[in-house]
Order: sequence, then C-alpha cells, then structure tokens
Amino acid sequence: MIVDFNLNEKDYMVDVPPDMRALDLIRDVLRLTGVKEGCGRGECGACTILVNGKPFNSCLLYAVKLNGKKVLTIEGLAQADGSLHPLQEAFLNEGAVQCGYCTPGMILSAKALLDENPSPEEEEIEEALSGNICRCTGYKKIVTAVKAGAKVMREKV
Amino acid sequence: MNYFFPSTVEEALGLASGASNPKYIAGGTDLSLQIRDGVFSPDTLIDLTCIGELKGITETGRGISIGAATTLSEVADSEVLPSTLIRGARLVGSPQIRSLGTIGGNICNASPCGDTLTPIIALGAILRTVSPSGLREIPAEDFFLGPKKTILKEREILKEVIIEKQFLRGSSFFKKIGRRELQSISQVNLALWLVMDKPEGVVSRIRVAVGSCAPVPLRAVKTEAFLEGKKLSDDAIDRGVAVLLSEISPVTDVRASLSYRKLVAGTFFREAMKEARDDSEA
Repeated sequence: MIVDFNLNEKDYMVDVPPDMRALDLIRDVLRLTGVKEGCGRGECGACTILVNGKPFNSCLLYAVKLNGKKVLTIEGLAQADGSLHPLQEAFLNEGAVQCGYCTPGMILSAKALLDENPSPEEEEIEEALSGNICRCTGYKKIVTAVKAGAKVMREKV
Repeated sequence: MNYFFPSTVEEALGLASGASNPKYIAGGTDLSLQIRDGVFSPDTLIDLTCIGELKGITETGRGISIGAATTLSEVADSEVLPSTLIRGARLVGSPQIRSLGTIGGNICNASPCGDTLTPIIALGAILRTVSPSGLREIPAEDFFLGPKKTILKEREILKEVIIEKQFLRGSSFFKKIGRRELQSISQVNLALWLVMDKPEGVVSRIRVAVGSCAPVPLRAVKTEAFLEGKKLSDDAIDRGVAVLLSEISPVTDVRASLSYRKLVAGTFFREAMKEARDDSEA
C-alpha cells in the first residue's frame, strides 16, 4: 500500500506492506534511527514520534495510518543549519542524558507538551512524560531540562 | 493481509461481508499487539478512523453522543462529558496511547479493567451498533460477556456511545489504583454516579460500577438498591460498602490479590460516597 506523508518537512511516497509498523518504516526503510524500539508494546515510549503534533507510539501504529499526516522525529528538530532546538540544548546543559536511548522520545513528548502549554507546572511535565521510561538517570534532570527548555522557548517568541 | 480505510459505515460493512476473516480496527493499541502475538489472524483489517460519523463528541436532543472512533485524548479533554468518564479516559495508558486509542476500541477490547468501561456503565450509557441486519441499542452494562468478550456479533460495528440527558445531571466520580500513579493498568477501578435530593439529603438516584473485581466490569445493583432513598450517614455508607463487597467476586491474579481488591473496592466506594455527600452539602 502507498503511504504518502510528510516526514521532518520532506514529502515521501513509500510502498509498504499493510502490517508494517510506523517504527519499521521510519527506522528500516527510511533509515532514521533516532526512533528506538524498547519494549515494542507501547509501554516505554522510546519509539515516540509526533503525528500532526501529537505523541504516538510508533511501535503500535500501522505505517499505513501515516497517510496524509505530518510526522516529526528527533532528526527533524534541529534547524537546517544544524543549530539545536532549545529542548535539545537544555537536555545537554542539564545532563539529562545518560545512555541516551530514551532521549529522542522524551524530547518529542516534551515538545508536544510545550507546543500546547508553554508554561507547564512540574506535575504537568511529569504527566506528559509518563509514557516515556528512563532507566538511567531518574527523572529529576529530565524535568529540570524541560523547564529550562520551556523558558528559552518562551523568551524566543 | 488486506488493509482498508472506508469513509462510510456502509462501505465498512460491505468490506467486512466480502472478507472471510475481517477485523475492524481503530487506534490498534491493543489489536496490533494481539495480531503480532497471534491471538487474531485476520485476512482483512478495516480501519474505522477515517469515517467522519464515528468521530467526535456532539450534543444532541437525547444527550451526548461520542463517536466510537473518538480518541481517548479527546474524551479526556472534553468540557461537556461527566467527570467520571473524563477521569477514566485520562487515566488510560500514557499520552501516546490516548492520542491513538479510541473509546470504542477500549470498550470493544472488553478488558475487565478498562478505565472507560465502569464510567459508561455508571452513566447508563447506550451503545449503538450497526450490522448488516440493522441498528441495535445495547445498555453498556449488558455489553460485556466476559474477559475480552462482548455481545457484538461478527461484522457488527460499535458506532457511538450515548449518554442520555438524565445522566448528565447529578455528580460522578472515578477512582483507580494501579501499581504506580500514571501509565498503569487498573488493579481496581470504581465509577459512581448519583443524584441527591437536596432538601431531604437523601440519595435519589445512584449507579455504581466496579472494574477488575469480576469477569466483566460489574454494575453493583444490590448496592444501588440498598442506598437509594437513604440519608447518607457514615453508618449507611458503611453498610453500603458491605453490600458492595458481597456482590463483587474478585480473584487473585498477576496484578493484585483478592483481599487487596476487596479492601480497595470498599475504600474507593466509601471515599466516593463521602465526596458525593460533601458536594451536595456544599
């Protein structure tokens, strides 16, 4: 089946088997490996992508469902000149990354939150990240980084 | 496997009747895993999420209609639905699950611990279905036959969930406990809807449903009958808890023990009743 969609501001038309997951389309066919497979069962959030701005588990999503949609992965977050998104900067500055496996999903979930709610309370950040599991650092630095990123994003506007 | 995106219910029914082993799919958060695990091996998936009439929350003359393919996020963010259903939807899975999963999918998956199932039973919801033999309206409490088993016939589609006007008044509550606060599966959940007769301070109407405490999300009819018409003293609530515990039949499984489930179900009911009483006195 043909999937005609926009990924990180580029249009793609790909022929996929109907039972292919969005995760496999993005990683194995389009070779964007920032999307990770953790549990493969919609529990860990390492495979999070944004579809029309909302977070989805790409391991539970059939690739054919992306038809006509706008998808963002971590590769699409930096500017064309390579300068990082404020959330990426904040994760680096705050030391919110250890092994890095959960990081793309964490940042994308955080972006979905901040696009809707630029000044979230700590509890709202925790709720927005509840579908993303980190097994290295704990969540304190991650939450701090989201707050710091939010501040920079607010000042830019 | 074939995969179709019909744009009308009629088209979906036609595709289903032309397939030997079809399955309807909405978000697929449960179904895609059941297919990967080999629980189901459909030859055809019929995706219902592009059918306009199955989407969205609309106020009608009868009450509120929720299209079956409305996402759990939309239900959780609604400003018109009763709070028990909003809270239930908000506590399903994670943001990622709720932006993909639908209320119809949560209902048709028929897990005894589904977090929108007890709310719709407490709210007396009517489930409208369509099949080649026509339309049916099924009370939510009669929809579930066992774990993962519903009254739906082959090729029948759940179209909408209707909350009638009479259930939009009063107050409603949802309580849930899981292994952790967020992104968890219910060990027990409880939904309560009630209307107080204010000058008298007595319960004029009450509906209670408990999840994960029986093979299906269970409406506690004896508890309701016991409390209807009663003044909500602490003693009446305690006796209501005893009736509730006599009519649920939880088991010990991987998620919780029988005795823990009874303890929590009783505590939830007591808390919810006291909150309802405080609300009506406020």
